[in-house]
Amino acid sequence: MAPRSIVTGLLGLVAVVMGVGLLLVSTQDASSQGRTPAKPAAAATAKAGSPIKAALTSAPDVPPPITRRDPAKVVVHLEVREVNLPISDGVEYAFWTFGGHVPGKFIRVRQGDTVEFHLQNHPDSKMPHNIDLHAVTGPGGGASSSFTAPGHESQFTFKALNPGLYVYHCATAPVGMHIANGMYGLILVEPPQGLSKVDREFYIMQGDFYTVGAYREKGVQPFDMQKAIDERATYVLFNGAEGALVGDKALKAKVGERIRMFVGNGGPNLVSSFHVIGEIFDRVYYEGGSRFQENVQTTLIPAGGSAIVEFKVEVPGTYIIVDHSIFRTFNKGALGMLKVDGPENKLVYSGKEVDVDYLSEKAGPSSAAIASAASALEKGTLDIKTQIAAGEMLYKGTCSVCHQSNGSGLPNVFPPLAQSDFLMANKQRSIEVVLKGLSGPVTVNGKQFNSVMPPMSQLRDDEIANILTYVRNAWGNQGDQITAAEVTTTRAKIKLPPGAAR
Amino acid sequence: MRHLALVTLALVLAGAGVPAASPGDMARVGPGVLRPVYAPAPGVTTVDVAAFRLDRLPVTNGEFLSFVTGHPGWRRDRVARVFADDGYLAHWAGPVELGPDARPDRPVTRVSWFAAKAYCGARGKRLPTEAEWELAAAAGDTSPDGAAEPGFRERILAWYARPATAELPAVGGGQPNFWGIRNLHGLVWEWVLDYNSTLVSGDSRSGKSADRLPFCGTGAFTAGDNEDYASFMRLAFRSSLEARYTTRALGFRCAGDGGVASR
Amino acid sequence: MRAMAIAAVAGLMAAGVVAAPPSAAPDHRHEAMEAAPPRGDSVYALSASLVDQHGRPVGLDLFRGHPVLISMFYASCPDACPLLIADLQRIEREMPRRIKADLRVVLVSVDPERDTPDALRALARARHVDESRWGLLRAPEDTVREIAALLGIKYRRLADGNFNHSSVITLLNPDGVVLARHEGIGGPHTALLRNLQSAQSAPRR
Repeated sequence: MAPRSIVTGLLGLVAVVMGVGLLLVSTQDASSQGRTPAKPAAAATAKAGSPIKAALTSAPDVPPPITRRDPAKVVVHLEVREVNLPISDGVEYAFWTFGGHVPGKFIRVRQGDTVEFHLQNHPDSKMPHNIDLHAVTGPGGGASSSFTAPGHESQFTFKALNPGLYVYHCATAPVGMHIANGMYGLILVEPPQGLSKVDREFYIMQGDFYTVGAYREKGVQPFDMQKAIDERATYVLFNGAEGALVGDKALKAKVGERIRMFVGNGGPNLVSSFHVIGEIFDRVYYEGGSRFQENVQTTLIPAGGSAIVEFKVEVPGTYIIVDHSIFRTFNKGALGMLKVDGPENKLVYSGKEVDVDYLSEKAGPSSAAIASAASALEKGTLDIKTQIAAGEMLYKGTCSVCHQSNGSGLPNVFPPLAQSDFLMANKQRSIEVVLKGLSGPVTVNGKQFNSVMPPMSQLRDDEIANILTYVRNAWGNQGDQITAAEVTTTRAKIKLPPGAAR
Repeated sequence: MRHLALVTLALVLAGAGVPAASPGDMARVGPGVLRPVYAPAPGVTTVDVAAFRLDRLPVTNGEFLSFVTGHPGWRRDRVARVFADDGYLAHWAGPVELGPDARPDRPVTRVSWFAAKAYCGARGKRLPTEAEWELAAAAGDTSPDGAAEPGFRERILAWYARPATAELPAVGGGQPNFWGIRNLHGLVWEWVLDYNSTLVSGDSRSGKSADRLPFCGTGAFTAGDNEDYASFMRLAFRSSLEARYTTRALGFRCAGDGGVASR
Repeated sequence: MRAMAIAAVAGLMAAGVVAAPPSAAPDHRHEAMEAAPPRGDSVYALSASLVDQHGRPVGLDLFRGHPVLISMFYASCPDACPLLIADLQRIEREMPRRIKADLRVVLVSVDPERDTPDALRALARARHVDESRWGLLRAPEDTVREIAALLGIKYRRLADGNFNHSSVITLLNPDGVVLARHEGIGGPHTALLRNLQSAQSAPRR
């Protein structure tokens, strides 16, 4: 008698468990009905092996390497948000983003994976958006299947056939504008054996930006279509903002670590000459492909392309990450930092740590004199001695290249400044020459010169005043003080030649 | 007694949601020649648009409320899901109640094409066609062709750069354009009758020569004016829509045939 | 002992109760994902007045109670529409006989001006369609626009009287709810075929 009751009881228990299980499944069906978009019932996918929800990261972070040895179904949810964010100090821009920031989220999958891609367009968006992933083999890279109005979601599925580091971007008309507003990111498709082990991985993406206002002009700056067409970038930036990888946001590593950078270039227009000052790339998987080059100083990253660079940091310090089309670094913001801590290795490098002052294009052997002149000017206590001291430093940094540090110039090439009759005869003219430059025949101390002095109008008014005060009082010249106000007045009156910096 | 009857009649009519259209509501637009940014057929670079009437202002929350009250099939809790998605009038406090997020003088948004069409039909009007809307929108302050006026395109493009989160201003602000129509730019996207008449695929880059098979009878499309990015963006936006969609920044206004100011 | 028996019976009953499918329409969404997410309501919510190829006034729901393949076309169409009709006929051929007997086809013309019932009937004859199960319909312009909007079909009338239009075949269940869509000409019509076969086995309301 007893065993039969136990069996019955067990059967009842099994039935209850099954019933509960079925209840859960059918509840999911019921709740998913009538909702847009519908989600697949758990039972339908359970038999294929559980799909993996992709872990997406914001730059400069990268999702962890893939450890599974088999392809899987990976589900990606990526949300488009149109957001106003700072692009530079005091400057705001209306970015269109994949995931709330520029660049978009980093997606990491494995070759052979089946990716179920959900593109969501936030209800607050004004524009429709879609996505073209360069990793997709299929029409438009997914763009035709993912065109999504605000407040809606699209889905498509693709198989990651090829390994590599691929750009993704929005491809909605006008495409250039969508990309220029920041709609790009990277998707990594790992080869089946994975990538070699490194200690740190970083995600960097370069982009060019076009605003109506000038570089660093404050306020909310709208997109400038004409500049984009003319390829006259206002900003060239890593990770969507000036200073995104600078100071306390710098990338960090330790001496001895192997570093890998996944570097993308969203464009829309410019090609990058990617370089890390003070480092040589041990390996570059050029164009994000399967082969690598070794011992590379600077690598080209096409617009809409990528590269993987690997190097080992041997020596502590701050390594500056640049686009070696160098005006972009110093005048448009394409500058980042990698700060490496750890014990020094004097055999490899013995110098000092580079800090922010290095970056000033007017840096000289000592900035102290320049700094104190600047602050004295502000306070209104600037005297001629301070000006001369600052002017000397500035002269050494800029003018001595041609006129030599002793003011002697180069015979038949560059006129002297020391005891120069041409210089001392006319104070107003000397200001104009510094601003406008000078070319054509000129007689100095009885000798003929016919050379070209470029305009130095990129110097500030107080800097020009300090330099002129110095040269007019050095090497036996008996001169007087020139004030910043005089330079300002002169600058306003004259016409700068074409090409001179404003 | 007679006064009471008249008042009752007026109230009944008002409740039925059939206000008389006043002549000042609409303005005559056109006739004119439109240069569409996307050639509708190979070799076709212009579209003739006959004169038509267009609402001077977009339809407001207040106006739409009186429509929904008189036509309860269009309440958000009763509308068929094939005619409107989940976002339909979501910003209203209730099915027939506006609330603080939907002030009566703001342009009504989160309405589907079907709802907008039904509203216009109930007013004895219709939705404007895309060509009609674009003709009206091409006008600047002082001429039918705003592209010649400095700053016209820039102002429009600046709107697309601002996110849609800010509260919508009331209708009626800004300058009336050459035709006397306001708020065609800078306020909300607007539905048109033939929003689904441009055969572009979701991938905007393949549009240069549309496939013959998915889109019957097409040849090579060429974009009419590559510089007119505002029109491009409107085209892209419309082609992302389905008739039941609603979005936060999408409203509408009504149109009518002919040049006579009222019916 | 008796308590255990009651528990067992209760458990079995619970299992039996929850094993029954929910009373709403069967959920094919996970299969339809390949084509497009179906709407949760019926296209027959649109009350429209059309005329079929025999001149009879009908609504859009003329084949309600049957699964329906619905699309839009026009009789003078040179390229895609003959292929569209061929596609529909091929889908029919690939169906088992009992499903085919139940299936209906609706084609709505985007060209009411030229596609009179006579023209539509002539086309039906020329293409050898099974007129007992196919409806070729004509509707006024405004209704055509609404049906196209419902089915997600784009079209434009050109100056020469021809039309540009997208080719989309939509599968409706017997209640007019969209089960699957196939865009473009040519197969394979995987999503449509799969949903057709499931539509047959589902209990009908």
